[in-house]
Amino acid sequence: MGNAIEVSEKATKQYIVVKIGNEQYGLDISYVDNIVRMQSITRVPKAQTYFKGIINLRGEIVPVMSIRLKMELEDDKFTDASRIIILKIEEQGIIGIIVDEVKEVVELAAENIDHSTKTAKNDKNSFISGVGKNGDELISLFDISAVVDESENI
Amino acid sequence: MDVSQYLEIFIDETSEHLQNLSDCIMTLEKEPDNKDTINEVFRAAHSLKGMAGTMGFKRMQHLTHDMEDMFQEVRSDKIKVTSKMIDILFECLDALDKYLENVKETSEEGTEDNEAIIKELNDFIASAEGKEATNSEPVKEETPKAETVAREKKFLETELTKAEKESILVAEQNNNRVYGFTVYIHPDCLLKAARAFLVFKAVEDYGEIIIYRPSSQDIEDEKFELDFTFFVSSAEALEKIVSAAKSVSEIDAVIAEEVKYDLYNSKEETAVGFAEASTEVAEIAEPSTQISEAAKKTQPAAKKAAANKPVTSRTVRVDIEKLDALMNQVSELIIAKNSLVSISTTEGGNFQNQAFHEQIEYLERITTNLHESVMKVRMVPIESVVNKFPRMVRDLSRKLNKNMELYMSGEDTELDRTVVDQIGDPLQHLLRNSADHGLESAEIRKLRGKPEKGAIYLNAFQEGNNVIIEVSDDGNGIDTEKVKSKAIERGVITPEQAEVMSQKEIINLLFIPSFSMAKKITDVSGRGVGLDVVRSNIEALGGDVEVTSKLGEGSKFTVRLPLTLAIIQALMVEIRQEKYAIALGSIHNIEDIPVKDIRYVEAKEVIHLRGMVIPLIRMDKVLDIEPLAEEPESLTVVIVKKGDNYAGLVVDNLMGQQEIVIKSLGKFIKNNKIISGATILGDGEVALILDVNALI
Repeated sequence: MGNAIEVSEKATKQYIVVKIGNEQYGLDISYVDNIVRMQSITRVPKAQTYFKGIINLRGEIVPVMSIRLKMELEDDKFTDASRIIILKIEEQGIIGIIVDEVKEVVELAAENIDHSTKTAKNDKNSFISGVGKNGDELISLFDISAVVDESENI
Repeated sequence: MDVSQYLEIFIDETSEHLQNLSDCIMTLEKEPDNKDTINEVFRAAHSLKGMAGTMGFKRMQHLTHDMEDMFQEVRSDKIKVTSKMIDILFECLDALDKYLENVKETSEEGTEDNEAIIKELNDFIASAEGKEATNSEPVKEETPKAETVAREKKFLETELTKAEKESILVAEQNNNRVYGFTVYIHPDCLLKAARAFLVFKAVEDYGEIIIYRPSSQDIEDEKFELDFTFFVSSAEALEKIVSAAKSVSEIDAVIAEEVKYDLYNSKEETAVGFAEASTEVAEIAEPSTQISEAAKKTQPAAKKAAANKPVTSRTVRVDIEKLDALMNQVSELIIAKNSLVSISTTEGGNFQNQAFHEQIEYLERITTNLHESVMKVRMVPIESVVNKFPRMVRDLSRKLNKNMELYMSGEDTELDRTVVDQIGDPLQHLLRNSADHGLESAEIRKLRGKPEKGAIYLNAFQEGNNVIIEVSDDGNGIDTEKVKSKAIERGVITPEQAEVMSQKEIINLLFIPSFSMAKKITDVSGRGVGLDVVRSNIEALGGDVEVTSKLGEGSKFTVRLPLTLAIIQALMVEIRQEKYAIALGSIHNIEDIPVKDIRYVEAKEVIHLRGMVIPLIRMDKVLDIEPLAEEPESLTVVIVKKGDNYAGLVVDNLMGQQEIVIKSLGKFIKNNKIISGATILGDGEVALILDVNALI
């Protein structure tokens, strides 16, 4: 997601707001294919540690990633509120990421998104493209391409 | 004219003709006096020219035209086949290939005129003919087939339906004239339907075509011999229409005259001839009695012509995507069937009905057969890939200045279409490798007492669920010492490591990325992107590659490929709670081994079974599964094999055989090759597929 595009469009963008730990995160809705309940995940031996395994999504095999482990947070605790968000990314295909809870869909205007908090040095923040302000609440917006990028994490 | 609908046919047929030409020219090089081949080459070139012309590819047409001239000269013994000529011809083929590539990509032939090649061709013809200057185009001999085909005014004999007769009447009442046309297409014409289409188009500028014989649909489908008949209602004079129709190329004759409703209404009356367009038909229409006589005469001839026509093989070309879709649907069906089976066995009392089980078994049989049939449809002989290799080896022989010959066998071995499409590059690379690095120079070969001509072999055959393709040569073999020193030099291994490496391990170093053995960089091989790419390509297809080599005697690359990619028979096994599938094709047998029978060799567990020492692989360890608290007294061991190597996989439980649909894990998970994919079980659960080849 190029920042320049967001600014020049001046349009609003929709984000799905999810909870991971105490923080709220936003996912660009254009990448979201589906949101499914937690289901049994088949472990894949020797895969990257943050990959929980694969699931059967209506006959398709979909890899499921723990965004918590990828961000070096503590491991997921699956509850009734846990969901798998299925993202469709053009070149690489489909991937699921586990979140603690799905809250709502918000619309954010470009002027309500602050990109300045992004600091390249901090690893955890490198998955964030900016912070959106929705009333009083702050939403960290995921940079989806960074989240699913595998190149530096082999 | 819109020829786009013929583009695919054109591309397919052109590549066939090009392949044919290439084969023939290869033969010609060996047997310069083989008249049959010369004729064959001439025909192929002629067909190509015709097709390119039809499609409006002028440059292609030009080039093939000049090639045809050359063959014409050869055919009439004016020029002898020389190696220089063969070289020029191959250049032409390459140029044509490029045109074809352009056509494939852009539907245009591109703008390359290939003047140089055409000039070379013409210079060659000119120089070979010596002083006989060939300013004028060599007179082209039409193939003398024409005389056998009687040119008839077939439209006079056409049986018309009532409605068609009425349409003639209506036309006449509207003060239009009705002309009957019979058009003869040149016997060598390809794309006859396209010609007919052009004729119709030309004619329709002047009037309306009211009747087609055969029907317009049949003409479009090319269901006619060399002629077709139609009736035009027009206010224009006949000559204009005839000359328009004749302007279409590859039309031998256009025979036409005005017809009247009465002629068809009552057979007694004679047709009134109006004008002659064709040179063949000089006289005015004859009385119908005579015509019917003529018809009697021509009928046997027509039958004979039909009998002589080669039986076209009853095949259809199908888009590979459609086959993929079909295969996917079969996969879905099998998954659905598997869930039915699993319901019937798990839900207990509800499904104890005998008839229900019979039906499920029936369904299983059908799906298995269906799967097999779809599989077979997707199978193509590897011929389509390997038949370009003789030409390639010939070129390599020139380029490297080494005398060599390629011997192939098993070209009819069949593989899944997707595999065949992708196996070309790796094989090509292996052949180049053999030609460049494998075979020694002529002097060394002589010194070693080998025949001067190096031999490269390509053998393909089926072995169980795999297809094996071997590329071997009788050259130098792999010098493991050199490989070793190179690897140390490049920092791939340390000298200490090198000491303890086995021959096989050293040879495997060749497959490490950017490890090229070429002493000098040539454009044949030696760019450092070599065997590693070969291996990764083959592994991407679910296969593997092995090398055996003997210094001084040659080396052999064995490529092993799975017959199919999508659906396999597998043994389902359980390791603790997890389920895994092992391809049935790689399973040798299953044994119960008491723990006390386990022996140790080099601190590794092995079993001694009927004279074979088989290493044990503890699957729970390999797959990072918690070990059992207490070891059972006997182990369930699945003995798997890869070529001549065996291994025993220790599992907890066998769950039985099942047909499974292989699904990819996707690009995100970087797994370690032990897992070749996943499959969905009857109950919706996901099981992983173990790749035996990676385990051994």
